[in-house]
Amino acid sequence: MGFTLKLAWRNIFRNKRRTFIAGIAIGVGLATLIFTDALILGMKANMIHSATAAYSGEGQIHRQGFRLTQDVGKTINGPAEVIAGLEKEETVEAFTRRAMSFGMITSPANVSSVLFVGLDPESERPLSHIDDNIQKGNFFSGPEARDIVIGSELADLLEVSLGDRVVVTVSQAGSGSLAQDMFRVSGIYHFNIKEMDGGFAFVRLEKAQEMLGIGTGVHEIAIKFRSLEFAAEDNTSFWEKYSVNGNEAVSWMVLLPQLKAVLNMVWISLIFMAVLLFGIVAFGIINTLFMSLYERMFEFGVIRAVGTRPGGVRRLVVFEAGALAVLSIAMGTLLGLILTLIVMKTGIDYRGIEFAGTTFYEMLYPELHLQQFLIYPAAVFLFTLLVGLYPAGVAARMSISDALRKSL
Amino acid sequence: MLTLKMAFRNILRQKRRTMFTGLSIVGGFTLAVIFIGWADGSYNNIIDQFTRNRLGHIQIHEKTYLDRPSLYKTIDAGQRIGTILEQADAVESWAPRVYGAGLAAFGEKSAGVQIIGLDPQRENATTHFDRKIVQGRSFSALRAGEVVLGKGLAEILQTKTGDRVVLVSQAADGSIAQDLYLLVGIVATGDDLSDRMSFFLPLGTAQDYLVLGDRLHEIAVVVDRLSRVNMIAATLSGLIADPALSVDPWQVFARSFYEAMRADKAGMWVMLVIIVVIVAVGVLNTVLMSVLERRREYGLLKAVGTKPRQIVRLVLLEIMVLSLIAMTVGAGLGLGANAILSKHGVKFSSGLTYGGMVFDTMKSEINLRSFVIPAFTVLISAVLVSLFPAVKAARTEAAKTMRMH
Amino acid sequence: MRKTWLFIGLGGLLAFSRPGSPQTQVDPDAATIVRQIDALYRSDSSEALVEMEIVTPHWQRTLRMKAWSLGMDKTFIRILEPKKEEGIKTLRIGNEMWNYLPKINKVMKIPPSMMMSSWMGSDFTNDDLVKEFTFLESYHFELVTPDAPEEGLVYIKCVPREGLPIVWGHVLIAARRIDAMPVWEKYFDEKGTLVREMLFKEVKSFGSRRIPAVMELIPRTKKGQKTVLRYLEARFDVGLDPDIFTLRNLRGGI
Repeated sequence: MGFTLKLAWRNIFRNKRRTFIAGIAIGVGLATLIFTDALILGMKANMIHSATAAYSGEGQIHRQGFRLTQDVGKTINGPAEVIAGLEKEETVEAFTRRAMSFGMITSPANVSSVLFVGLDPESERPLSHIDDNIQKGNFFSGPEARDIVIGSELADLLEVSLGDRVVVTVSQAGSGSLAQDMFRVSGIYHFNIKEMDGGFAFVRLEKAQEMLGIGTGVHEIAIKFRSLEFAAEDNTSFWEKYSVNGNEAVSWMVLLPQLKAVLNMVWISLIFMAVLLFGIVAFGIINTLFMSLYERMFEFGVIRAVGTRPGGVRRLVVFEAGALAVLSIAMGTLLGLILTLIVMKTGIDYRGIEFAGTTFYEMLYPELHLQQFLIYPAAVFLFTLLVGLYPAGVAARMSISDALRKSL
Repeated sequence: MLTLKMAFRNILRQKRRTMFTGLSIVGGFTLAVIFIGWADGSYNNIIDQFTRNRLGHIQIHEKTYLDRPSLYKTIDAGQRIGTILEQADAVESWAPRVYGAGLAAFGEKSAGVQIIGLDPQRENATTHFDRKIVQGRSFSALRAGEVVLGKGLAEILQTKTGDRVVLVSQAADGSIAQDLYLLVGIVATGDDLSDRMSFFLPLGTAQDYLVLGDRLHEIAVVVDRLSRVNMIAATLSGLIADPALSVDPWQVFARSFYEAMRADKAGMWVMLVIIVVIVAVGVLNTVLMSVLERRREYGLLKAVGTKPRQIVRLVLLEIMVLSLIAMTVGAGLGLGANAILSKHGVKFSSGLTYGGMVFDTMKSEINLRSFVIPAFTVLISAVLVSLFPAVKAARTEAAKTMRMH
Repeated sequence: MRKTWLFIGLGGLLAFSRPGSPQTQVDPDAATIVRQIDALYRSDSSEALVEMEIVTPHWQRTLRMKAWSLGMDKTFIRILEPKKEEGIKTLRIGNEMWNYLPKINKVMKIPPSMMMSSWMGSDFTNDDLVKEFTFLESYHFELVTPDAPEEGLVYIKCVPREGLPIVWGHVLIAARRIDAMPVWEKYFDEKGTLVREMLFKEVKSFGSRRIPAVMELIPRTKKGQKTVLRYLEARFDVGLDPDIFTLRNLRGGI
C-alpha cells in the first residue's frame, strides 16, 4: 500500500510539465468554485443588507392592520413590554422606534405629499443609513426640536436648502383634525433611490407624536439582528413571540417580497452555472488522466509483464489520480484563497445600481466560509478518484502483449 | 499543400491522441456554448417576464411625459399610431393607456388614487391583465361604467365586487369630473405599492371622464424578439415620425431594472471570463501535452530535411484542423442542447410568483454570441498554445529529440 | 403620490378671526392698517355671490357660486355655473369638509390631507382662504419705504413670528393711505424671491362695508397662471339659519 502510494506520487512527478499543467487546470477550476461560492454569499448578503439597512431594517413590528392601511390610530400595543423584550433578546443587535403618517409638506415654491416620520436619532443611527447618507447638514446632531431632514429629490421639488422653512400638515389620530407645524431643513440626504430621496420627511419622535396626537405611542419598531439568519422568515420562534397582543412581527422577506423573489432567481441561475463549471472541471480531470494513461501504456505493459497483478495496476492508477488531485487541490485552494482575499480587499463596485427598491450602495465583498475549503476540495478529490477508476480498470484489464505493443 | 495533407494524415494516424485532444476541445466548447446560451436566455427571460407584466417592451409617450407626467402631455394621433403598430411585423401586441389622479370614495372611506384607463382586449393580449384578476372579472367593453381596483385599494375602501365607487377628479378642461362606477373586479399585479392606488377604468370611459377626447398618455408595445428591442424601437420611431413623441425601449423607462440587469450581466461577464480561462487552460493542457510528446517525431522530420518554419506550420495546422473539427462537433452538441433548452427550459419545482407571473422556468437561447465567443477562445488559445512547443520543436537539434522517448 | 391632487374642497371663502390678541410693540399706524386688512373679509356671518376665474396654461374657466359663512368655522358653498358643475355643494365645519355631487347624488368626505392643495385648480391654497393667520397676531410688522414708492400708498413689511407654521419669509403689503384699503400683497420666500402676488381692485360698498371686490392671485414662479376672485354681491353680519350648515342641507335643500 505504502509502496504503491510512493510509486504513485513519484510517477506523477516524472512528467512534471504535464502534471503541472493538468494540476493548474483542475486547480483553476477549484479556485473558481471557491471564489464563485464566496461571491454568491457576499452578493446575497449585500443585497439583503442594502435593502434592509438603508431604512427598513431586517424585521419590523407593527399593530396588526397597520401595514395595510397606514392608519395613524393603529399604534403598537403595549410598547413598553415589546421594548423590554427586545432589549433582552440575544439575537437582536439594535432596534428603533418610529411614528409615521402621510401628510403634506409645503414650501414657498411648492407642495408635496410625503411620509412624515418621527424617529429617535440615537437608536436610529446604528440601524438605518440615513445618517450615513447625509449630503448636507446633519442628522439631528443639534438640540433644535424643529429640525427636519429630507431627501435630495424632495429638496429639489420644494426648492429648499439648509435652513429654509417648510410647513408640514398631518391629520391627527382619532379626531382627524389637522395639525400643522413649521420646521427648518437641518439635513438633506441622498440615497440615489428616487423613492427614498423624495418620499420621506424625518423629524424627532417626540415632535411627530405631538403632532399626530398619539401621546407616547409608536407605529413601527424596526429591528436589526446580529446575523442575517435570524432575520429569515422561518425563524418562527421570534416572529411568533412578538406577534401577540394585537401586534404583528414580520421579517424582511415578508416586507420586501420582490427582493426574496429576485434572490431566489439569482440563486437558481448560479446553481446552474456552478453545475456547468463543475462539468468543465470534470472534463479536465478525465482528459488528463486518460491522456496520461495512454501515454504510458507501454509502461503499464512492462509492469504487468514483470508480475504486477491487475488489481495492483488499478490501485496504482487510482492513486496517481489521487496524487494529482491532492496536488491540484493544494494549488487550487491556494489560488482560490488568494483570489478571494484580493477581491475581499478591493471589493466589487456595484454602487449606485438600483434594483427592486434596493440600491447597492455598499461595495460587494465575497465571503469566505470554512466549508468552501472543505466541501469543494473534497468533491474534487472524490471526483478525481472516481474518474480515475475507469482508466484504472482499462489499464488493469488490458492484455500484456497489447500493452507492450502500444506506442502512442 | 503537402503540409495540409500531412496534417490531416497525422491527425488520423494517431486516433487516440487525436481523440483526447479533440474531446477536450469539444467538451470545453460545448459547455461554453451552453453556458452563454443559458446566461443570455435566462437574462432575456427575466427581462421579458418583468416587462411584460405591466410595462411592455417599448413605450410611446409625449416627449417629456416620463420626466414629469402630466394630464396634459398627451399622444394625439392614437389612431394613426395604432395602424402603424398593427402593420409592423415585429410588434406582437400593443395597448393604449390614459392616466389621471383622483379621489375615490366608498361609504365613509376615501383615498387618493391613480386612474388608469385601459383597453381590456389589448391589455389582456399584451400584459395578461385578466390573469391578474383575483376576484370578479375584467371589463366587458371599451366603454362601460365599470371599475377594477387594485387589491390594496379595495381593502382600504373596504369594498367588494358589486359595490358602486365614487370617483372625483379634475378633467383636462379644468372642470370637475365626478362619476359612479360599478366594481366588477379586483386585481393583484404583484406590486403592492401600486395596487394600493390603482383605479382601473375602461379606456373609453376614462377618456370621457377626463375629457380627453381620444387622446392617450401611453402606448405599451410588446415585441416578438426582445433581443432586438432597440432596433425595433428605432424603426417604429422612424415610421411614426412625430417629433413630439418619444418611442423608448424598456431600458429607458425601466431604468432601475435595467441597471440591475446590467449589474447582473456584469456578474455574468465575470463568470464568462472564468469559463473562458478554464476552457483555454483545458485546451492548453491537452494540446501542449500532445505536441510536446511528439518532439521525437519533429526531430525526425528535421533530420530528413524539413525546415524549421515548415515544422511550425505543420504543428499549427494540425492543431487548427483538429480544433475546427472539434469545434464543429462541439457546436453541434452545444447548439443542439441550447435548442432543446430554449424550447423546454428547465422547470424548477419551487417557482416564484411575482406579479401574477410564475418564474419557474429558465430557458436557454440560441444566438450568435454563444457560438462566436467560445469559437474565438478555443481557436486563439489552441493556436497560441501550440506556438510555443512548435517553435521549440522546430529549433531543437534533431539528434537530441530523437534520443527522447 | 401625485402632485396634482385634485381638490374639491372649497375651503371657506370667508374666514374666521381669532378672539382678542395681545398687543405688540409696533408702529401704531402700521397696526391700524394691518388690523383693518385682517378684518376686511371677516365677519360673524355673511352671504355672497362670487365669481372665480381660473387661468392656466391649458384651460380657462369661470365659476360662479353662492357662499355663506357663520362664525369661525362654518362655510357652505353652492356652485351655480358652469352647467357641468352646477349643483355641487361644499360644507365645511372646522377641519372637516364634505362635498355633494349632484350628478351621482353622493356626499363625499374629503380626507384632511387633501386640504392643503389647490382649491378647485386655482392658485389659492387652503391657507389663503381659511386665513388662520392674521397679520396682526402672527407677524411682526413695521412701516417701510421701498425704493420707488408710489404716491398715496403706505408699505408694511410683515415677518412671520418664529414657530408658526407659515412658509413665507416675509410679506410686503401696499395699502392706500386714505382708507387703508390693500392694493397689493407680495409674498417672498426667505431668500427674498417673490413667489406670488395678490392684487386688490375695485373697492366697492356692499351694504355697510367697503371692500375691494376683486382679488387677483398671481403666482410668480409659474407661467400663464392666475386666479381672479370677484364679489358680485355680498351681505355681512346678517342673520343666517344655522341649518344651512348641516349635512342634511348638503344633500337636499338650497
